[in-house]
Amino acid sequence: MKKFEWKSVLALALTGALALGLTACGSSDNGAAATGSNDAGSKAVYRTLDEIKESGTINIGVFSDKNPFGYVDENGEYQGYDVYYARRLGEDLGVDVNFVSTEAANRIEYLQTGKVDVILANFTVTPERAEEVDFAVPYMNVALGVVSKDDNVITTLDNWNADDSIIVISGTTAETYLIANYPDIPLQKFDSYATAKEAFENGTSVAWANDNTEVIAFALQNEGYTVGIPSLGSADTIAPAVSKGNTTLLDWINDEIASLGEENFFHADYEATLADTYGLDYEDSLVVEGGKVTAQ
Amino acid sequence: MNWEFIGKYLPMYEKAALLTVKIGVIGILFAILLGLVCAAIQYYKVPVLRWIVAVYVELSRNTPLLVQLFFIYYGFPKIGIRMSAEVCGVVGLAFLGGSYMAEAFRSGLEAVEPIQNESAISLGMNSGQVLRYVILPQAMSTSIPAFVANIIFLLKETSVFSAISLMDLMFTAKDLIGLYYKTTESLFLLVVFYLLILLPVSIVGSLVERRMRYAGFGD
Repeated sequence: MKKFEWKSVLALALTGALALGLTACGSSDNGAAATGSNDAGSKAVYRTLDEIKESGTINIGVFSDKNPFGYVDENGEYQGYDVYYARRLGEDLGVDVNFVSTEAANRIEYLQTGKVDVILANFTVTPERAEEVDFAVPYMNVALGVVSKDDNVITTLDNWNADDSIIVISGTTAETYLIANYPDIPLQKFDSYATAKEAFENGTSVAWANDNTEVIAFALQNEGYTVGIPSLGSADTIAPAVSKGNTTLLDWINDEIASLGEENFFHADYEATLADTYGLDYEDSLVVEGGKVTAQ
Repeated sequence: MNWEFIGKYLPMYEKAALLTVKIGVIGILFAILLGLVCAAIQYYKVPVLRWIVAVYVELSRNTPLLVQLFFIYYGFPKIGIRMSAEVCGVVGLAFLGGSYMAEAFRSGLEAVEPIQNESAISLGMNSGQVLRYVILPQAMSTSIPAFVANIIFLLKETSVFSAISLMDLMFTAKDLIGLYYKTTESLFLLVVFYLLILLPVSIVGSLVERRMRYAGFGD
């Protein structure tokens, strides 16, 4: 009796494991089969430009908690620099925009699974990410920055005290950069901007590393904080991203950004959404117009 | 499936699994203690305390662990109570688990028919002996299935710890996906590690259940 039941338990477990294993492997195969026309067995499940136009709605992944780039205001409306551009994109495409709230670590995933057509969530262009998704031309400059409390301003990451930790958000370039360049600094990782900010204000860690735009905004919006390291790592850009291989949509966005440059659209965007936070001093250093980065 | 990636990040999962098990075990132990105390208070209908327990049980069972953790980790520091994320995890798990354990034990105690108590007394046992030899063994036997289910449930609930920045299995998987975009491998390891933790619990649990099935008649 006992022996028999042991077996059935094991059999059940193995069946379960097998089923899970099969679905896990299956998912990548399905994608490749569905979009057979792609080269190199790409596993994208994206919608082409025509399909988006036909459906009448474009799904755009934005942040919902990253003021002033992508956030939900008190009326429940999406607002911010990324969102301002997203609305224009929908308008020029002649479709409605369906905003999909995303977290930093989800952005690639959302494109790879076709949950969104475009990511406009302060997405920094990196070579590693470019292997997984296709970036359009950039619309903003960015570097990393570190903000800390006024009474203990961090100005360097060298000779770090191993008892102190730095807050990072999972899936951001700040996390990747610190792991690669300062592997000995303990990182306190959070999965959303809202919780990271809350924890930082509670004094969980001595510093918070993120895009410098974000930490500058934080220090300006909250009293008692200073950006001790305003620029860390390399100067990067932020660009829209589409699923790997979605060339029709990518080309359209590239043309769109180029033509928006003629009307200085992103300067208008900056003045509408970012000027309240940063003032006009940062306008020329942050905005990339027409997809062309000018040497700084 | 990229096996090189799996080999490289296996140690990270091992660390996360240890953390998950550590917080899970400590939290569940406290939950069992809390549950025993609460069940006893309710069983013996201790005045005042039983109302406090009733409120606690309803509050704890009808709010998600995620909400409880947010309160403990992000809310408490505002009123001056500071705890590390690990302690918050243990406290949250004990708070949630305590009520489930209390209900499991209470149902076990209440399932023992009054006639058992009366018969034991008529056989000349004192109240301590009745509890020790008649009530508790049967109550335990009845509550074991719910008890085992609770342990598995609580271990699985640790997957929301990422909200308070604990690098448990779930957060490790999410973090690796965000860092290196190896979704399939990360999720595969996640499932494997959860099974490694939970399958033994489940198997041992069902063995214990079978051996303890002596309450009531028959079987």
